[in-house]
Amino acid sequence: MTKHLIAALAATLTATPVLAGGPLTYFTWSGYELPDFNKSYIAAHPEGPEISFFGDDDDAFTKVKAGFHPDLAHPCYDKIARWNAAGLLQPIDTSRIKNWDKIFPVLQNLPDIQAGDGKVWMVPWDWGNTSVLYRTDLVAADAPQSWSMLWDPEYAGRLATIDAVHDTPVVAAILAGVNPFDMSPADMEKVAEKLREQRPLLTTYTTDMTSIEQSLASGELVAAMTWNASAVALKKQGVPVEFMNPKEGMLTWTCGFVMLKDSPNTDLAYDFINSRLEAESGKYLIEAYGYGASTASAFAEVPQATLDELKLPANPDEMLKTTIFTGPMKQNDELAKMFERVKAGG
Amino acid sequence: MRLRLSANDGAGFRFVMSVPGIAATFGLALFALALVLLLAFRRNDGGLVIGPLTLSNFTGIFSDPLYAIIMLRSLWIAGLVTLATVVTAYPIAWYLAFQAGRWRGLVLFLVTLPFWTSYLLRVFAWKIVLAYNGVLNSALMSLGIWDKPSSALLNNPAAVVVTLAHAYAPFAILPIFVALQTIPRSLLEVSSDLGASRAQVFARIVLPLSMPGVLAGALVVFVPTLGDYVTPALVGGPGSIMIGNQIQAQFGKANDWPFGAALAVSTMLVILAAVLLIRQADRRWGSRA
Repeated sequence: MTKHLIAALAATLTATPVLAGGPLTYFTWSGYELPDFNKSYIAAHPEGPEISFFGDDDDAFTKVKAGFHPDLAHPCYDKIARWNAAGLLQPIDTSRIKNWDKIFPVLQNLPDIQAGDGKVWMVPWDWGNTSVLYRTDLVAADAPQSWSMLWDPEYAGRLATIDAVHDTPVVAAILAGVNPFDMSPADMEKVAEKLREQRPLLTTYTTDMTSIEQSLASGELVAAMTWNASAVALKKQGVPVEFMNPKEGMLTWTCGFVMLKDSPNTDLAYDFINSRLEAESGKYLIEAYGYGASTASAFAEVPQATLDELKLPANPDEMLKTTIFTGPMKQNDELAKMFERVKAGG
Repeated sequence: MRLRLSANDGAGFRFVMSVPGIAATFGLALFALALVLLLAFRRNDGGLVIGPLTLSNFTGIFSDPLYAIIMLRSLWIAGLVTLATVVTAYPIAWYLAFQAGRWRGLVLFLVTLPFWTSYLLRVFAWKIVLAYNGVLNSALMSLGIWDKPSSALLNNPAAVVVTLAHAYAPFAILPIFVALQTIPRSLLEVSSDLGASRAQVFARIVLPLSMPGVLAGALVVFVPTLGDYVTPALVGGPGSIMIGNQIQAQFGKANDWPFGAALAVSTMLVILAAVLLIRQADRRWGSRA
């Protein structure tokens, strides 16, 4: 009896490494898990990927640093250097990415993703904008098209903003007239001052876009900082909203897949990335969320009328002529600490 | 012979029975606590436990009025929650102990019913009740009390107090109920026979004798709510950020674990002080001797 037990135990123990080769684990933003984004992967691997969510990619970073080991994660470009410096990533071989050539050159050539030797640290998948989404019926028709709407005391208690370092503090820096991506301590104080000015006007700092959308729809909020997807969702519901084109420029970001260092499922990971870079997947991203896909082939599938309606140029280069690209922030950690202090009333 | 054997058995039994407790205490509680304590004296240099030690995290906390403000805000909110919970729990516990009769089982079941759902769901339920287009606003509007919905119900400290008081109600009801139930009924009869009014019986007999339950309930509610971070994050808005949110932020976005650990240790010290105060109160008013 004991012998059987020991044998069973030994079998379990030796079987564990095999079990670890189980389904692909994918750590991402909520809303990025839809099966429609990777139909061909699910067709080939019916068990599908196992999904975990993060609130934003700074939270994701600390969770991975603390020992959570997904195979793939989905941070944004401005965080790649930080993830890399912590030794969390393994290079992705572009020769194994079927549609690598279809990715827009501006995204292919981002400096922080280069790992040399035909390899990259991140495969760009999506790009989009951050801006002010406001109720056209609750805001004066001649209201200035500016980020300062989120600082307007007239709307006190009816504003909300995104609780992520690469969004709200970046905008505060732009309004304070300092370079968001490289700040002196004096600049940092100016940004803090700007953020302090905004805090009493806000109902909440959040990354929960569903509740922001609901509050805009009900009229509780007049304006909020959001991403394209919220504008698309509310317009589909017939809520009178407009995604502002602020005179200071929207923020444009890009995010993508990184492979974690000790991933035992690299083959599955490549299959997954390849599936997501198919034109059909990118088309769904554009049409469902209004975000840009990273491949020109996906844009080719979408009718021009749809793109016009989404105000999405068929090339990120076009977009970047008028927007501010959220690249790496040199003082990310200091900025994050300062933002937390201001949120708490300091 | 028989006696010696049973004594031996007792020792062995006691040893076996205390092994899980000792293992859990040392392996889980004390080890984790020691790790947090060590981390609190570390510099934020990427390494975790190995490296130079420093007091700078604590000097940072104690020299910065912001953390005192956040701590006072947390104490204030947790104190209000405790007060609200105990005051609303007492009548329920009293009903359970003296009046419920054959309904006692059912009422106890109803008291514990909220625990059948996740804590997060209960927080979201309150969000639905208090929201701008939520249940309470709609009800008040259809009653004609308000003509347009108010956004003043959610995203403020009051919403945090209401949500936490609801979530922690059973923790206060049960100890108070037990304390009330163990009061010998003969005492109540005697005082009535000696001419005490019902109010006098309550003030002189029932309340003093149930104080240990009240204080135990208060402690069980106060300690976890002081460090809560989910509720203020979801229903509190910027005005009710508590110490738990700051600790969570240091371990999350701000990426400064040693500072977060130092904040956690400081919070533990504050809780320790509060516990000592309550014990003092227990000696003064809670004793049944």
